[in-house]
Amino acid sequence: MSAYFLPMIIIALVLYSVYKRQNAYSSFVNGAKSSWELIITTFPYIVAILVVVAVYNASGLNIYVSKILSPVLGILGMPVELAELIILKNFTGGGSIAILEEIFVKYGVDSYIGRCASVVMASSEAIFYITAVYFAKTKIERYGYLIPLCLLINLFSAVIACMMCRWI
Amino acid sequence: MNAVWSAILIIGLIILMIIDPNNAFATMLDGSEKAISLSIKLWAVYALWLGILQIIEDTRLSKVFQKVLSPLINLLFPNADEYTKEQIAINIASNILGMGNACTPSGINAIGGLAGKRNRINSNIATMIMFNTANIQLIPTTIIGIRVLHQSIAPSSIIIPTIITSLASVVLGVVCCKLCGKMFDRGESK
Repeated sequence: MSAYFLPMIIIALVLYSVYKRQNAYSSFVNGAKSSWELIITTFPYIVAILVVVAVYNASGLNIYVSKILSPVLGILGMPVELAELIILKNFTGGGSIAILEEIFVKYGVDSYIGRCASVVMASSEAIFYITAVYFAKTKIERYGYLIPLCLLINLFSAVIACMMCRWI
Repeated sequence: MNAVWSAILIIGLIILMIIDPNNAFATMLDGSEKAISLSIKLWAVYALWLGILQIIEDTRLSKVFQKVLSPLINLLFPNADEYTKEQIAINIASNILGMGNACTPSGINAIGGLAGKRNRINSNIATMIMFNTANIQLIPTTIIGIRVLHQSIAPSSIIIPTIITSLASVVLGVVCCKLCGKMFDRGESK
């Protein structure tokens, strides 16, 4: 059903544009023009994040950090197998899909752990990535309480995700 | 950001020098290459969606989004100007429709409008980031797609838990942002 969703919205939009006597074609071209500027603005931030993630994974830091987080997850009543995913997904959503697939293969896609991992991935975005890219056009350099708060909320959301998977 | 980035880079590189010095720099270059291929993909996504979003703006449909979402937007971002409110409306609407990376252009414009010439964070900016990190969407298409690839017997069983989790975290997140704003935002003309 969701396959029909986007094409239908776009058909409706272009029809509406005709009804409003707008030139849909020139609107589209004008909008697409600004994509170049946007990608140039965001590119340096994406490089910075992906370089540090590459070093983080290759050095084995990911395993050490997961070991530190595991007991915390245990106390919160969550499967400790999710530690690596919960940490990495703060940096990159795309990069943590590999971990999600690893979990699916190892524990089964419909197991409790597999379902928890799915909901954890689906219900939050990469904090460091979003923050870096979204501030690309501002003068803000000090993020103050934002990052600690986001990390805390993300952990909370992972706890909720595991509870929901148990109940629903 | 600087602290986290520098700390991970320094510690990671020291470990790499000990266990695998020949590949230390190659690892970084690999990350950089991934950024190029991701950016090319994102460029395609941005170009397509910015085109579509421009049609939405030119037909003044974005004003309709803004009107529907205005009670929420006026409550959360009372000081924002009209342009910023419109961008926030587009951003929240594209989040809900599950457009993924297509939320980025309007998100950047919204944050730019909220930040203005400030160099400090405030609770409005934090709230906007919270909306985007909580990833509110009707159907989490990407993850369902991966579940289908792995032969799940109930790939869409995660929809309801995901929506509840996103809503719970965004509500708590926004409340915390506003509380932190009360405690830490100084020199803001409210």
